[in-house]
Amino acid sequence: MQNAVQNTAGHVFNFAELLERIDNDAEFLRELLSIFKRDYPRRLHSLKEAITGAEMKQVEAASHSLKGMFSNLAMDRAAAAAARLEQMGRNRVRVGLEDALALLEHEVAGVLPVLDAYLEGARR
Amino acid sequence: MKILIADDEALSRKLLEKILQRSGYDVIAVENGRQAAEQLCQPDGPRLALLDWMMPELDGPGVCREVRRHRKLSYVHMILLTSKESKQHIVQGLQSGADDYVVKPCDPQELEARLRTGLRILELEDQLVEAREDMRFKASHDPLTGLFNRGVIMDLLGRELARTHREQGCTTMLLGDVDHFKKVNDAYGHAAGDDVLREVARRLLSSVRSYDFVGRFGGEEFLIVLNNCNASFAFARAEQIRKAVANSPVQTSRGPVAVTMSFGVLSSADWGVRPVEELLHETDLALYASKAAGRNCCRVANPQESGAAAELSLQAPPSRTR
Repeated sequence: MQNAVQNTAGHVFNFAELLERIDNDAEFLRELLSIFKRDYPRRLHSLKEAITGAEMKQVEAASHSLKGMFSNLAMDRAAAAAARLEQMGRNRVRVGLEDALALLEHEVAGVLPVLDAYLEGARR
Repeated sequence: MKILIADDEALSRKLLEKILQRSGYDVIAVENGRQAAEQLCQPDGPRLALLDWMMPELDGPGVCREVRRHRKLSYVHMILLTSKESKQHIVQGLQSGADDYVVKPCDPQELEARLRTGLRILELEDQLVEAREDMRFKASHDPLTGLFNRGVIMDLLGRELARTHREQGCTTMLLGDVDHFKKVNDAYGHAAGDDVLREVARRLLSSVRSYDFVGRFGGEEFLIVLNNCNASFAFARAEQIRKAVANSPVQTSRGPVAVTMSFGVLSSADWGVRPVEELLHETDLALYASKAAGRNCCRVANPQESGAAAELSLQAPPSRTR
């Protein structure tokens, strides 16, 4: 199953690095992924609200939180997208926010099925 | 070792918790800076902390500043967790009172190594505090009996007299001397003499209240300060203390030795405002009077008889040997 995840999502999800970081503890990985599945929608919603309201300080904070989550799960490309949004928030750059958000959602969308597959596989 | 993790991001907290528990730490995890500061400012709070930089309510540098301002008794080693890698941010973090910083996401081995560095610093601090406390004790206590030394007991007496005068209360002081102590040394040796002094000190200490003071005044002389002890009770209290010493022989390395003490007693309320040295002199005269009266007794210094006591002391120079 791990190989499958690696093969499918190698470009967006550094699975090997993540497993090394948690000492190859598959049970713990499932716990982390469950937390991510629970918290990600809430954090994303908070970011979207900040972008809609053009609250740039909030854009910076919400992106920063997301960047932390992605980095912890070795989701490097999603983390880079969040870092870009954080930077825009910090520099009060409003132009291109929607596009940066779309890129972030796209990167995460690539990972979510992989995470689901992993969780499903671990359950079996 | 207790360690605090402060991070508003659940996933990050969970990861850190796992790494630290694996290394044997007792982890306390909180989700904002305010909670972190509250935990770390407790006197028995964690002394190691991993603090996320950006947190709700109070950020990591804010926690560092608060802890440095409020927790004075023991040092807390604080490590900031940050993705802010710029030199300016690192300087800002360290200036807020952080000891170190780790870039997120943390590499477990690096984190453990940095925590070990923190532990080494805390151990050094503990050793320094212990050495300081040891020196402080040695500077204020008599090495043989463990009682306050002369300088400290005099200082405490001065403060208590000033306080009771301010509050129109009364402090009673007792100057006690072990009877025929020279004979104990001559007959049983100095080691037995030391046993006697140690046991007398213990008996004196155990016969006063926790807020009274006992000090070794010199050789075989002891000064006792009884706080808020009225003149009407002073003699009775002195008698209780005298009997506590004389009650049973002291067991020494050379066998049991019968020990008694003589006491001069003075209650400050009877004397108005007088310098400490003068009151101590009057107490000493009362002690001479108790020696002259046959020893193993107490005599109260009386302002009306002050001259007579002085005369008595002048008439009895041999009592200096006590």
